[in-house]
Amino acid sequence: MRIAPKLIFIVLFCGTTVFAQNKELLYDFYEIPQSLMVNPGVKTSQKWHAGIPVISGLSVQGATSGVTVNDLFANDGVDFTTKVQERLLDVMSDKDDFSTTSQIEGITVGFRGKNRPDDYYSFGMYGEMDIISYWPKDLAILAFEGNGGNNIGRSFDLGDLNLRGEMINVFHFGINRKVSESLTLGARAKIYSSIFQFQSINNSGSFTTRQGQNNVYESTINANMQLQTAGIREFYDILEEDTGTTKKDLASVFTERVLLGGNLGLGFDFGFSYNLNPQTTITGSVLDIGFINNSKDVWNYTFSGSTTTDGISVFLPEDINNVDNDLWQELIDEIDAALPQGENQSSYISWRPVKVYGSIKYDFGQGGGSVLDNCGCAVNGGSGGGSSLDYFRNSVGGQLFMMKRPRGVQAALTGFYQRRFGKTASLKATYTVDKYSFTNIGLGANLQFGPVNFYVLADNLLSYSNVADSHYASLQFGFNIISWNSN
Amino acid sequence: MKRLCYSIFLAIGFIFFVVSCTEEQDFDQIDDLRVTPTLASGLFYLESDEETINAAGPLNSFYFQEVNFDAFNEQYVAERLLEGVITYEMDNTTSKELQIIIEFLDDAGQLLDTELFTIEANSSETWDIPYGPGGKSIDILTNTSSLRITANNLSDSISVSSAEDPKIILRSGAQFVFQLQ
Repeated sequence: MRIAPKLIFIVLFCGTTVFAQNKELLYDFYEIPQSLMVNPGVKTSQKWHAGIPVISGLSVQGATSGVTVNDLFANDGVDFTTKVQERLLDVMSDKDDFSTTSQIEGITVGFRGKNRPDDYYSFGMYGEMDIISYWPKDLAILAFEGNGGNNIGRSFDLGDLNLRGEMINVFHFGINRKVSESLTLGARAKIYSSIFQFQSINNSGSFTTRQGQNNVYESTINANMQLQTAGIREFYDILEEDTGTTKKDLASVFTERVLLGGNLGLGFDFGFSYNLNPQTTITGSVLDIGFINNSKDVWNYTFSGSTTTDGISVFLPEDINNVDNDLWQELIDEIDAALPQGENQSSYISWRPVKVYGSIKYDFGQGGGSVLDNCGCAVNGGSGGGSSLDYFRNSVGGQLFMMKRPRGVQAALTGFYQRRFGKTASLKATYTVDKYSFTNIGLGANLQFGPVNFYVLADNLLSYSNVADSHYASLQFGFNIISWNSN
Repeated sequence: MKRLCYSIFLAIGFIFFVVSCTEEQDFDQIDDLRVTPTLASGLFYLESDEETINAAGPLNSFYFQEVNFDAFNEQYVAERLLEGVITYEMDNTTSKELQIIIEFLDDAGQLLDTELFTIEANSSETWDIPYGPGGKSIDILTNTSSLRITANNLSDSISVSSAEDPKIILRSGAQFVFQLQ
């Protein structure tokens, strides 16, 4: 049993490094082709691009709104139990979360339409893992302190258990269209191929122990809890069997599900860029409006009902002739009957976490012709003939990010400054405020060496002096091949 | 100027990456974690009216029962039980002096311990019985498989209390500390 707490801590603080999904550095960084993935309506200029498979886009982001790894595991001589009590249980609320999102691009390709040069098509495949667990405050206190002592009379909220996670592979196809000199629209369709999904997001109920009306204490529990899982049982069974072909079997199931063999879903992204004037641009996008129909390998676990117990009760004279001596077991059976634990295989719909971006940008420091002078695409570039947009060395602006989470909308506000150095380099610096950090300064660089494009984006750089003490950390990077001309 | 800006940006970025580090972390501290919740629960409740007591006759038992009681001897519980208190409360609104005896028995029916509570007519009393360090042996509870409860009338069987609905009530509850980790 000593393994269990360790696993919980490792999962919370190490294994599922805590991630947030905001990609404020990538957003509207249109020199990077992957910016299409956060706004399908971003301005595009290239003739075509192709990501180098698997390393075209890697992103890992980490954040915790509550305790950090360093808070608990710093070698500071403080008793660990004291740290857990003072830095975790006393401080964190049920609004705090641990979450994780990581993405890896398998394939990404984009090209401009021959007959419709205003259209830029892109398609590809990427894998994504997203897990969020809110801090189950009341349940943690119940486990750590119990229902006795000062907690007599306290109502423990069973709804504090709130978690959601999934691993999916996404096949996508998007169209980006320059509608006019000032407006670019984009849309992307996605097919989600689920590898696994689990959620326990609509729990409710309470557990209370108080001075009893009859006995010294009485405990009341009412629960309506459910854990829905899809795609997990088969992996579990393979691991449980532990045959000589375990790795092969796991790989086989994983591959099948990556390639549309598991639960499927459908989603859409939409976005736009609009020039209010030659130097001011507003943009917006909505991502992952979609769902997954979980109907295969579904195992749901339920725990619901309500009961009050104050122990074994004997009333005389009513029970005078009751010679049953198994009253304790009867009490246990009564509680079990009142709080049935069930399993079912009912299919369910899981909604993707919808994300919304918006931005306003002001360009200044005119640098002459377009940064994309060699662009033969006739769109958004300067000399291609289709655009009159000038090249500005500097951009400054603000971005808003919102994301639907199980407990409401999570928002972030970003101010940014971008500096372009000809065609070869562009840098973007951001300052972001969100629930995870008030000191999140990020820096991104996009470098172009001939057709080879490399970008790297890192968040919360101030925390790099002690990463373990960071509430937020993120890193994205990738390589692409980009063609700016008609060759 | 342009080159200067470029250099500054790159230098800052380079510095951030180079200086990124972390303080020494000791993940073995998890082994030092002590999770010792205090769990509270009602145990046993006995209620009898005066009429039933009188019906049993003077100086006689009006209730005798052995009940299975595995609350503490389940292996998972027994291994983690550290200390605690069982609280007994008695309210006697009858006209009689009464006595309740609780005997703790193991699997074989062997007597492990006895609690004997005597209460005067028209009175209330509370007893806290500690177990573990400074109290009775915790083994009494971890080996208890059943309770033998005897309720005796130490008075006559004629008198009737003038109180409304006279009763003897025994309440019991426990608060115990467990070491889960």
